[in-house]
Amino acid sequence: MSKFLLLAFRNVFRNRRRTLMTLLVVGGGVAGLLLAGGYFAFMTDGLRENTIRNGLGHIQIFNAEHFKRDEVRVLDTGIDNWRQVAATISSTAHVNGVAPRIEFYGMVSNGQKSSVYMGSAVDPDAERSLGFTPHLLSGQDLDAKPGADVEALVGAGLAKSMNVKVGDGLTLLAVTSDGALNGIDVEVTGIVQTGVADLDARYLRIPLNAAQRLLQSDRVTNLVVGLDATANTDWVYGQLTPRLNGLPQQMEMKRWIDLATYYKQVRNLFDGIFLFMGVIVFFMVLMSSINTLLMSMFERTREIGTMLAMGTPYSWIVALFMTEAALLGLLGAAIGIVGGNLAAALLNVLNLRLPPPPGYTVSILFHVLYVPGIMAGASILVTLSLVLAAILPAVRASRIQITEALAHV
Amino acid sequence: MNHLVTAEAVSRSFPLDHSSVSALDDVNLRVSAGEFLAIAGPSGSGKTTLLNLIGCIDKPTSGRIVIDGEDATKLTSARTAALRRVKIGFVFQTFNLIPVFTASENVEFPLLVQGVSGSERRRKAAAALESVELSLRATYRPDLLSGGERQRVAVARAIVHRPALVLADEPTANLDTQNATQLVDLMRELNRNLGITFIFSTHDQRLLEHTPRIVRLCDGRVVSDTHAAAAETRLEGDCHEQVSAARFS
Repeated sequence: MSKFLLLAFRNVFRNRRRTLMTLLVVGGGVAGLLLAGGYFAFMTDGLRENTIRNGLGHIQIFNAEHFKRDEVRVLDTGIDNWRQVAATISSTAHVNGVAPRIEFYGMVSNGQKSSVYMGSAVDPDAERSLGFTPHLLSGQDLDAKPGADVEALVGAGLAKSMNVKVGDGLTLLAVTSDGALNGIDVEVTGIVQTGVADLDARYLRIPLNAAQRLLQSDRVTNLVVGLDATANTDWVYGQLTPRLNGLPQQMEMKRWIDLATYYKQVRNLFDGIFLFMGVIVFFMVLMSSINTLLMSMFERTREIGTMLAMGTPYSWIVALFMTEAALLGLLGAAIGIVGGNLAAALLNVLNLRLPPPPGYTVSILFHVLYVPGIMAGASILVTLSLVLAAILPAVRASRIQITEALAHV
Repeated sequence: MNHLVTAEAVSRSFPLDHSSVSALDDVNLRVSAGEFLAIAGPSGSGKTTLLNLIGCIDKPTSGRIVIDGEDATKLTSARTAALRRVKIGFVFQTFNLIPVFTASENVEFPLLVQGVSGSERRRKAAAALESVELSLRATYRPDLLSGGERQRVAVARAIVHRPALVLADEPTANLDTQNATQLVDLMRELNRNLGITFIFSTHDQRLLEHTPRIVRLCDGRVVSDTHAAAAETRLEGDCHEQVSAARFS
């Protein structure tokens, strides 16, 4: 068997220039897939962690009623006695902390002009402990010191629209849980950027206690759970299920992936693009290799005839060509992996940035991750492509008439 | 008497456009085990066709070829390959060595195909190369060997698995006179020492001087089959006259 492999290996290097060209095509395909796949992995991994760190958290807990019906009044599907629920969750392993949130909306006014806002009320300390820090363009994060003025962070678009800067005052209006109209004055302590232009035009963040005062309710919309690692999400989800079932109010949990609609869309898009690239590389290697392998077969016609005359089974001839193609694929893949990783290292060192995508305001770092799965997958893809390319030459070789092959010049 | 090779009324024709060309016509031949036989004749006389049929790499249009009791014309492709693998060795005019293998690896090849273990292969290949006096060239690739050395490697490859029959098609055609004579002497020696039957084709009269049996072909027919005592006898007249004489004898 080793002699058979040796023969295949030496045959691969019989025509070095042609082999080199084939290896470059195969290696180039693998390197291209590695770079594209590594960049997509960086983008999706970054988007996932950003999505989680930007406030989505790893798990969110709601009152089960929240998903069964629309709210008739503000927070009437919110969580009662949320501190008890948070305490229950916090004692679970891998849980870094629990942040209560209220999602609300209303009108904001600077005394001359009013606009709609989408409010998010948070416990600043809990948010900071989980690493959920807003991206401040100016000013500082919420402090929520007792007795101080009500602070607010305002989205860059909303601040521009309302013509306010750090230190200016705004009036927030909202409907209370009793259906009455209520209002509070806030001081702008910071201008923030969410990364999404449409959201920046409406975004407003205030401390939780201020929102509860505005909405006249002790409830919260949801509890956001932060974990030590995203990989522990399923395990913690499993641990929390029986604990929450023991509470008087029926709760419902959502994993981050259930709520990250945008992340899923982006991931599907990248998967689709990567699949398309894989198909292109597959056919590129297939088409360029068929000709090379056929030429190799024609050049060795007499040799194949000699081997067959000596009683070599036809299956051996087929296996020989397949093995040569597989070796070519593996060598090309190895070259592609080395070349692709070197190119990735170089690009990563250059610290390139890409312009923001449509609807975004932040430029994107160009970075390529080293993903062993992509390296293995790309190697298998090109090797399979070459083995398929070898079928035609192998079958033709195995059907050679021995007497004609021996007379071949 | 059992013969190693029997060709009975063998004809072989090849299609050409709307007609056909007859390469062999009603050839009968019997070769016993241990014989050393030359098939002689001018170019186009059918020597290679006859060797291809005896070597089971071609099938006759009519008639039958029996090798060591097996009717090769009735065997399947796989069985024919197995028959060649075990019972026949080949030496070709252009050596036909595998260029990426060393001399030793080339000699090992028939054993590799038979599934012989690595150590056994190496031992037998070394012995075969020793028998053709090429032990010192065992690690050389064919492109580093002279024509005579390449053909001796091919002979070693043909005998390494101790076949019953070695077929050599114009083995000396690409060699100078000295190497050609040495090669025929070598084949004769192996024939005597190992008892392997050798059938080789040639159109070189000088190589036939020490050949105990000579079968002459002309226009696809056997025109003479002479043994040692009559080996010196040269047939008079040209090839076509010999065919006519054979046909009416």
